Amino acid sequence: MKLQPADYFIICIYFVFVIAVGMIIKKKIRSSNDFLASSRTIPLWITSLAFISANLGAQEVIGMVASGAKYGIMTVHFYWVGAIFAMVFLGLFMMPFYYGSRARSVPEYLFLRFDEKTRALNAVSFAVMTVFSSGISLYALAKMFEIILGWNFDASILVAAGIVMIYTFLGGLTSAVYNEVLQFFLIVLGLSPLVIVALQDAGGWAAIRQNLAPNMTHAWKYMGDANANPMGLHFTSLIFGLGFVMSFGYWCTDFLVVQRAMIAKSMRDARRTPIVAAVPKMLMPLIVVLPGVIAIALMQPALQGSGYTIPLESNGQLNYTMTLPSMIAHYYPSGLLGVGITALMASFMSGMAGNVTAFNAVFTYDIYQAYFVKKRSDRHYLVVGKFITVAGILISIATAYLAKGFNNINDFLQLVFGFVNGPLFATFLLGMFWKRTTGHGAFWGLLAGTIGAALTHGLTVAEGKGGWIYPFYEIKSGMGQAFIVAAISWIVNFISTIVISLVTRPKNENELKGLVYSLTARPRDDGGKWYQRVTPIAVILIVITIILNIIFF
Amino acid sequence: MENKMTRLEFVIGAFFSIVAVIMFINIFAASAYSRLSMYSASSFLVFGIIMMIASRSND
Repeated sequence: MKLQPADYFIICIYFVFVIAVGMIIKKKIRSSNDFLASSRTIPLWITSLAFISANLGAQEVIGMVASGAKYGIMTVHFYWVGAIFAMVFLGLFMMPFYYGSRARSVPEYLFLRFDEKTRALNAVSFAVMTVFSSGISLYALAKMFEIILGWNFDASILVAAGIVMIYTFLGGLTSAVYNEVLQFFLIVLGLSPLVIVALQDAGGWAAIRQNLAPNMTHAWKYMGDANANPMGLHFTSLIFGLGFVMSFGYWCTDFLVVQRAMIAKSMRDARRTPIVAAVPKMLMPLIVVLPGVIAIALMQPALQGSGYTIPLESNGQLNYTMTLPSMIAHYYPSGLLGVGITALMASFMSGMAGNVTAFNAVFTYDIYQAYFVKKRSDRHYLVVGKFITVAGILISIATAYLAKGFNNINDFLQLVFGFVNGPLFATFLLGMFWKRTTGHGAFWGLLAGTIGAALTHGLTVAEGKGGWIYPFYEIKSGMGQAFIVAAISWIVNFISTIVISLVTRPKNENELKGLVYSLTARPRDDGGKWYQRVTPIAVILIVITIILNIIFF
Repeated sequence: MENKMTRLEFVIGAFFSIVAVIMFINIFAASAYSRLSMYSASSFLVFGIIMMIASRSND
């Protein structure tokens, strides 16, 4: 892929704009709360778009296109099963506690609801997770552009990290959020032309369905048997493993996305953020899944006239990861090519910035202030926040080089994150909806769930992975294994938390007001037109999601 | 004026408008015409203008 001067110019304009956003926001930063938590001043449309954009990193965009090519239309499950319901649940039931408790972070909510050790466990695991994720985003950016554009790996790392450092150092969380919104529009407007022209090339959806195997164009029909569909999943593992455990575990407890709702101007906006965000989220498959399905369709004999092919790996297998970059290279002329590359770059960099700002807030509030230096002036914590921004970027750079040196580090980190994230939603579910849950129950339940996840992975084998204790049971696909590991870790956590809570002393009910459903006044959702209220929009969204699943059954 | 220019709607609108102008210049000056480029650049420009107008109406 060769870029022309116009393409480079567009990339440079993007760099100028993101730094300019940081400089504009800098003038509004007066306190650590402004820098780390935006002082709850962000309008609904920005928090909503940032909410999904925080999850729309390049690995998600590139990964979903790759999955669309590999698994077909079933990839929509990551959106229509694995996101919408959890986002609606977060807005309806959980945001009142996150926002109403005045907690500045998810770990801080755990401290208020349970105790210090539960906060510490979540804070440390989250901080490590996010800063390493940031580094892996940086590595993936540099690697991708080395392969497709021939850019120097080290230069890509330093330029990308440097620009992210500048605008997050200047404007903190608000700067990261604003740039995430810019990134969202770049991805949608930058990739929409690709979908339109590639769909035209393929002869439309009818031609695609005609030329692909039926199990590539049906989302549910072939899920009664794991051997009958390309994902190798049974619908039960999808619904419970992805649709419940992993989906709710991510969308309802991951501070990186929840933070975008916590910075809304009001309780009503905080509740509406994930629900409004669910609307574009529901439509994202058109931008990220459909191109992958089109790509694999264009490889079929009847549609090979377009001249497009998915690149091959050195072993002759299809290199699905390169599907999106190769489609951009094939279809986009210069100018538009610059926009497409900028969209990819923006998603890598925003993913990195989002992780760094989330890491910053958790480290400063839940580790530094909570355990090391308490009761200092606000100016002190503002300075610390800025220092941690720089430190987070430097750790990310180090992680990127670690990932370069060890090929499997990404897989290893994803595995560990899965062990930690899988059981988390059980803790929050019990904590928010059962006043009897104790700090001991939450802490030991989380640990038990994590151990349960590790044991399940160690005793099952899928696609040659796992079974490091003993290959007791074989699962058809790696994805199926991940869902089963998550499901078992959740169940272990859930049961352990209940059992341990019943034999330990809970907090006084007065301490739990505003933190538990039965001890908290329901937030009012009246006033304004019906489409401005949380519950009607949520119901409509669920109905539409079910209809979409039926249409693509 | 300063207040409007610091609004995110204006910043996003300005970005896409500038990108559209670059694309138009590339199409005509560098003879890099294609229908896809024209339609895309036009869409970006329309979107950019709408966003900048939206930032004014929210003042």
